[in-house]
Amino acid sequence: MKKLWQNNRSLIIALIIFLGAFAAITQSMEAKVWASILLSGITLASLYFLVASGLSLIFGLMDVLNFAHGSIFVLGAYVGLSTYANPRLLFNTLPFFLSLGAGITLARSFGVPFWRLKRTQNKPQWFFWGLIALSLVLITLSLREFPIRAINAFGVTAVGGIVSTAEAQEPMGTMLLRSALLFISGLPFGIALAPREDYQEGSRRNPGRVLLTALILLILGLAILLLRDPGEKFMLGLSVDLRFVLALVLGSLAGALLGAAVEIVLIRPFYGNPVTQLVLTLGLLIALTDVIEGVWGEEGHPPMTPPSLFTEPCRSESLFSWFGEKCRSIDVLGRAFPSYRVFIIFLGILVFSAVGVLLRRSRIGMIIRAGVQDSEMVQVLGINVRRVFTLVFALGSGLAALGGVIAAPFLGVYPAMGGIFQLQAFIAVVIGGMGSYPGAAVGTLILGIARAFGDHFVASGIELPFLETTLRGSPALAKASTVLIMAIVLLVKPAGIFGKKE
Amino acid sequence: MNNLLVIENIHTYIEQFHILEGVSLEVPQGSIVVLLGRNGAGKTTTLKSILGLRPPRQGKVIFEDREIQGMQPHLIAQLGIGYVPEHRAIFRDLTVEENLKIAERQKHDLDKRSDFIFNVFPDLKRLIKLPAGNLSGGQQQMLAIARALVPENSLLLIDEPSEGLAPVLIEEVMDAVRQLSARTTILLVEQNFSMASQLAERYFIIESGRSVKNGLMPDLIDDQETINAYLGAA
Amino acid sequence: MTSSTTNIEDAPLKKAWPQWWPYLAVLAFLILFPFLAGLTIGDPSAVEPGAGWLTAVAQRTESGYAKFWQGMLIQIFIWGIFALSYDLLLGFTGILSFGHAMFFGTGAYAVAILIDKHVSWPLGWALAAVILISLMQSIIFGVLSLRVKGVYLAMVTLAFAEMFFILSEAGDFRKYTGADDGLHGFPVPDYLSAADHRTRFYYLALIFFVIVFLAARRLVNSPPGRVMIATRDNEHRATTIGFDTFRYKLIAFVAAGVFAGLAGALSALYNVSITPALLSTDRTIDVLAMTIIGGVGTLVGPITGAVIVQLLGYWLERWFGSSWTLIYGIIFMLIVVFLPYGIIGTLRARSLRLKEGWGRWLKLLGIKSEGDAAFASHTEMDNGDQPPGQS
Repeated sequence: MKKLWQNNRSLIIALIIFLGAFAAITQSMEAKVWASILLSGITLASLYFLVASGLSLIFGLMDVLNFAHGSIFVLGAYVGLSTYANPRLLFNTLPFFLSLGAGITLARSFGVPFWRLKRTQNKPQWFFWGLIALSLVLITLSLREFPIRAINAFGVTAVGGIVSTAEAQEPMGTMLLRSALLFISGLPFGIALAPREDYQEGSRRNPGRVLLTALILLILGLAILLLRDPGEKFMLGLSVDLRFVLALVLGSLAGALLGAAVEIVLIRPFYGNPVTQLVLTLGLLIALTDVIEGVWGEEGHPPMTPPSLFTEPCRSESLFSWFGEKCRSIDVLGRAFPSYRVFIIFLGILVFSAVGVLLRRSRIGMIIRAGVQDSEMVQVLGINVRRVFTLVFALGSGLAALGGVIAAPFLGVYPAMGGIFQLQAFIAVVIGGMGSYPGAAVGTLILGIARAFGDHFVASGIELPFLETTLRGSPALAKASTVLIMAIVLLVKPAGIFGKKE
Repeated sequence: MNNLLVIENIHTYIEQFHILEGVSLEVPQGSIVVLLGRNGAGKTTTLKSILGLRPPRQGKVIFEDREIQGMQPHLIAQLGIGYVPEHRAIFRDLTVEENLKIAERQKHDLDKRSDFIFNVFPDLKRLIKLPAGNLSGGQQQMLAIARALVPENSLLLIDEPSEGLAPVLIEEVMDAVRQLSARTTILLVEQNFSMASQLAERYFIIESGRSVKNGLMPDLIDDQETINAYLGAA
Repeated sequence: MTSSTTNIEDAPLKKAWPQWWPYLAVLAFLILFPFLAGLTIGDPSAVEPGAGWLTAVAQRTESGYAKFWQGMLIQIFIWGIFALSYDLLLGFTGILSFGHAMFFGTGAYAVAILIDKHVSWPLGWALAAVILISLMQSIIFGVLSLRVKGVYLAMVTLAFAEMFFILSEAGDFRKYTGADDGLHGFPVPDYLSAADHRTRFYYLALIFFVIVFLAARRLVNSPPGRVMIATRDNEHRATTIGFDTFRYKLIAFVAAGVFAGLAGALSALYNVSITPALLSTDRTIDVLAMTIIGGVGTLVGPITGAVIVQLLGYWLERWFGSSWTLIYGIIFMLIVVFLPYGIIGTLRARSLRLKEGWGRWLKLLGIKSEGDAAFASHTEMDNGDQPPGQS
């Protein structure tokens, strides 16, 4: 008992304070009111958690404070939205990525002899970045004047009216040319990424398999391109639910791939130099925001329709009857609560447990937990820590992107939401303790609930206990409440609730 | 004699600082070699240069007749080099068992060698489910050594095992190191001269990042002049 | 540097000249700029017929591109002061703040609100109030946030600044702050109107800029400045020697806060408009970018950065239209990668001392790396704790 107290003192104190505050606030409310506010808070916390957990893991393991994390969240949301509502965007852009990927895969394997030839011990940096720059220039050239806005002008919400698919798409020949150019652009990139020496990478990969991978990527790209018209019809013909699942998968996959790419290109060359990494993620934030606004526009989209599981116009008595009735809302102590938000909570808990189990039970999780403390020591045990870094970056980014997709039917999608979620995630992570996974969960929970109650007081005021007056807050107060909580936590415990003492 | 590890005149920098300015040493197969020198002479950096954590800019590191300088640390480790860092750098948030398991290079490494490990360190068996951070200093040092024994290592680099331990515990660690030497070759960094002199067969002394003297341990024990010149007042 | 300061006392002008002439040359150019611009790119049609030669030049400086480029330089002065103040934190004391826009924006809001119709203070009083407000603000938030270090401090300051951003947007104070619209066209005294008397405003900004530059230079060369730099290099060592590093960090925080507040006030007077965007994290990112691009830990670096970012922004927007930030982001990343010490820093990086200072600064901010013992033995040898910026 004493041991329990010693180990979790700050958590227990935080819990007591939290419950005390909760009791003080809710004592003047009806149960049904505070229950639904609480649920709204947990909904928000679920979304915050998806962003914050990746941020915290990445910081804990690699000491990288990723300022582009919120952009990845938005990107995931937009990719999900496009999969769900505008599949022609996918059919017209996926081949590009695939052929680029094929070029990179191919050159990465055959770039080893190239570096051996160069033997540039002194100035490989310039060469490396030169190749990357060449690749970027080629990519820009091959994407010149691609009618991305027309392809995006799909639903009724499109600004400037709808453009029909036949009009929006470029002719097949042009698309093939662009794909071929992108394949070529991938080659210098792949050479840049290739290991400098054979032995540095351990055993060489089988060239046959590399060739096969590249070929499969190319053929897949070609197939998507050739099948774009029937493909679009097929996608739109799918049931809403299936499309939503597809959106979840593709959205988080896009985030994860982008995360991996960011780690390999921007973060990996600068380990041991955390400020450079931080500044580079800032640059990425600037560039990525512009790319997102350029592709999807600055105006944002209203919340997309949730899957059919959450749309029937009725109110279910309980969680169990909802599975059969597919109602829009669920009865919570006599008040309606949107069933889609229950889904968000469910997904948040699912991800929390899944990643938790991954960290606790799997070998890779063990390596991550050890690496958070001392990644150099993990390395000299014979473990390729860099690969784990890339994996964690991809995982964290994928989770953020997943958060973006599930937020889309709830909050809509707009470019600025990345910054908002990133700030909340930062605050949550600081409250919970940087690098602590349970800390991220507790931090987001506190923030989400505080925010929900704050919003409630703005809307209806608070009856102070033992006083007759009603105190009405302003929206600014609700927004600032999270910052205030963070300030208080930090003043009491500078490393956060779960943070380790230095 | 057949040398397991040879270092030829390595130069290592940390940022722009020239830390090692020509260190050479040989570790014969099956022996215990001790690396001596004052604080800040570059002993730990030498170990890190071997491991690839601080790759040398010049010179060669030859392990089992193969040049390994410039290889990535995890690949060097996979060749069969184990490392017991100073300050008992075990993973505090992991349990004792996880600390051992993480060192596995192949599945069931731990199962295969657990008899030997728990024979040398019987305490660890009792503590296996505890978080390693809850262990005492001596137990943590045992765990750090045990961790290096889990995979099949032909060379162990041990950095200051006696540092900060009570004399009783130092005896225990020395015992353990002696038992290990029957199985593997050991390169030891040690400030505690009495411990070093009892364990090692050969010594190398570095001073300000340079190799200055080496020879057989019994000769050094009698050579008070050398001890005073390079190790005294340390 | 240490030796050259002693030499200055021996033969003041002769010895100081090689060190000062680049600064004086730039200053001379800046003083002459309005006339040069008026003669070359000013609009000749703005000259009233029959005006004398001097009046004609004066009228031309207030017209066309001459006026525009003076405006550009005024912006550069304002951002230069802001970036300089940021570098006092980042480069000279090793504090990574993400909330510096708080001071800039508060300064702008304070002056605008105080001279606006609801308060209508005279400008002098308002500016005095700006100094007082930013002084109090930086002391309060300095004491609060300097309790933590490194990235924690970055996040805490980020959150505090966000609080002010939220306040500026809040509808509760719409009467005073204009909420999310901001305030526009508040009564800046006529004699200071940048629209009518651009050249006058230009000189005012220039004088202010020079004063702040000299003050910052004085600060980093003063004994407290030395302690700030020692804190950046190795806080533990500075504490061991017996300095209360918290106090010196607070001095840096306050100096930076006041300079930034004044820069903000100047910006409000020049633009005659304020919006919540002045308080947003984006402004801090801008100023961080300027400091990094120019060179952290130097006084000239952040100013160079301000020049580059302003001009780059102007030209990129002209050439690439709305997607210029993408190009800007990429250029920014390339500079960080290729010129790791920034432009001015890289020019000076040949001297070992700077690299050393930079390395230690990284260490302090970020994560301690190995070989500290070896490191300490080397730093022991270097006894002159002077700013790398002072060469």
